Amino acid sequence: MRFSPKYFIALILVLFWFALIRCKTRQSTDEPKKMAIVVSTLNNPWFVFLAERAAAKAKELGYESKVFDSQNNTSLETDHFENAISSGYDAILFNPTDADGSVVNVKNATAAGVPVFCMDREINSTNAATSQILSDSYSGCVTIAKYFVETLNKNGKYVELLGLVGDNNTWNRSKGFHSVVDHYAGLKMVAQQSADFDRNKAMEVLESILQANPDIDAVFCGNDAMAMGAYQALAAAGKSDKVKVFGFDGAEDVVKSIQDGKIKATGMQFPEVMAQTAATMADQYFKGKRDFPKKMPVAVEMVKKDNVDNYAAYGKK
Amino acid sequence: MKKIIRYVASLVLVALVAYNSVYFKKLDEVKAGTASFNAAKYASEFWTKKLLPHTTRAIEIGQLLTLLQTDKNKAFSDYSHALGIGNVRYFLVKGSGTVQAVEENQVLVKVASEREKPEVILVTEFVFGNAVRDASGEIDINEFTNSMDFNNVSAEINKIIREKIIPPFKSKVKRGDRINFIGAIELNKEHLNTRSIEIIPVDLKITN
Repeated sequence: MRFSPKYFIALILVLFWFALIRCKTRQSTDEPKKMAIVVSTLNNPWFVFLAERAAAKAKELGYESKVFDSQNNTSLETDHFENAISSGYDAILFNPTDADGSVVNVKNATAAGVPVFCMDREINSTNAATSQILSDSYSGCVTIAKYFVETLNKNGKYVELLGLVGDNNTWNRSKGFHSVVDHYAGLKMVAQQSADFDRNKAMEVLESILQANPDIDAVFCGNDAMAMGAYQALAAAGKSDKVKVFGFDGAEDVVKSIQDGKIKATGMQFPEVMAQTAATMADQYFKGKRDFPKKMPVAVEMVKKDNVDNYAAYGKK
Repeated sequence: MKKIIRYVASLVLVALVAYNSVYFKKLDEVKAGTASFNAAKYASEFWTKKLLPHTTRAIEIGQLLTLLQTDKNKAFSDYSHALGIGNVRYFLVKGSGTVQAVEENQVLVKVASEREKPEVILVTEFVFGNAVRDASGEIDINEFTNSMDFNNVSAEINKIIREKIIPPFKSKVKRGDRINFIGAIELNKEHLNTRSIEIIPVDLKITN
């Protein structure tokens, strides 16, 4: 019997096809379960902490885990998802890069039978992820904005530094802030620019804004890294005593700066609570639970000078 | 004949792969989640159909403060609501008292109660946040496609308070008036502070 090259190629393709299906649907009951922790960036200590806490909780629950850094790049994130699925990870604890751009990755994982638990950042889909554990950024910024209005006595000029424009947290924080501040005609926003949640970029952006607007009274920043960058720019311009800086996150250097009176307030998020909840939910999923709340908000608490002693970086003392 | 079968099989395979690779959806359907949601309408219906009927279950503020001192966990588990994880929780409270001062941003009230008789702050200026939306426990975040829709409900509820509840009260109230109030408060379970309780009003009546 003689095979023509065409039949041989067809046979190889069919075998390859079955191998692919086998890879995708591999379910071993003997192997220990593994969790992939895919985070938007490890270039920000807040996300490093989130990833570390998720890995620690996974270990405590008896699972292997590996951290993947998406470097704020959705295509790299897609590669990580494909790797995680083909390498047989059983759940993904996920901090998305982009609310819209990350949806397809989550859908692919879910379709492959791998549950995805979003941490801190939201994707714009209610049924793609198994559950989304999210900081209540909007409400946290409503609280900060009330304090902002009181501190400025309803009058003044201010700058807003936004985070990544593709991230829902950026807009939830900004909208929460404006839902309060925009009620006061005496508060005038002289500039609103993105600094991508980045400290150095925030410093450069504010330095440039200060040239055109040297008489601002306050800066509201969508995260603490930008708040520190803004403070550096103000200090370099000799305006740090006059201009009030507000952040969001609860990062270590900002908590210390609030104690020192350099930063007025921040919104304390609880990354450990989010990471632990995500890992615990994955554990419950492995044990058969399927009924998870689609969204689980985590309350944000405002930290200012008079209560800063109750808090440490990334959470409570 | 073999050739035809081969072509048909190849076509079926290609069609199958193509069908499973691409799908079409109307943009209207994709955007419908947020665009079609009317937060003002939702808030108005929530106010009349869920919140106001629920006010009969509000706890008297003096009784709540006594319970917080004697059994904090019971007070939080029996009377507070919150939608997620965390220490910030909301209570629906009621009470009566005498107006001590009418200030720019608030009205100070000395509560008349058989239990604790604190001085509380009725907020008349900074009516923001989720206290009123969440205090009744009658709202479910999973009903909402997008978090912004859910947040907009709070904004619209607060607008009802700013436009319909506060102005008729603020225009008449003066020091010494006796009033009845129903409202929502926010307390942090871990860092409990009952020294300056701020009440976001849901119902205010001058009863002189």
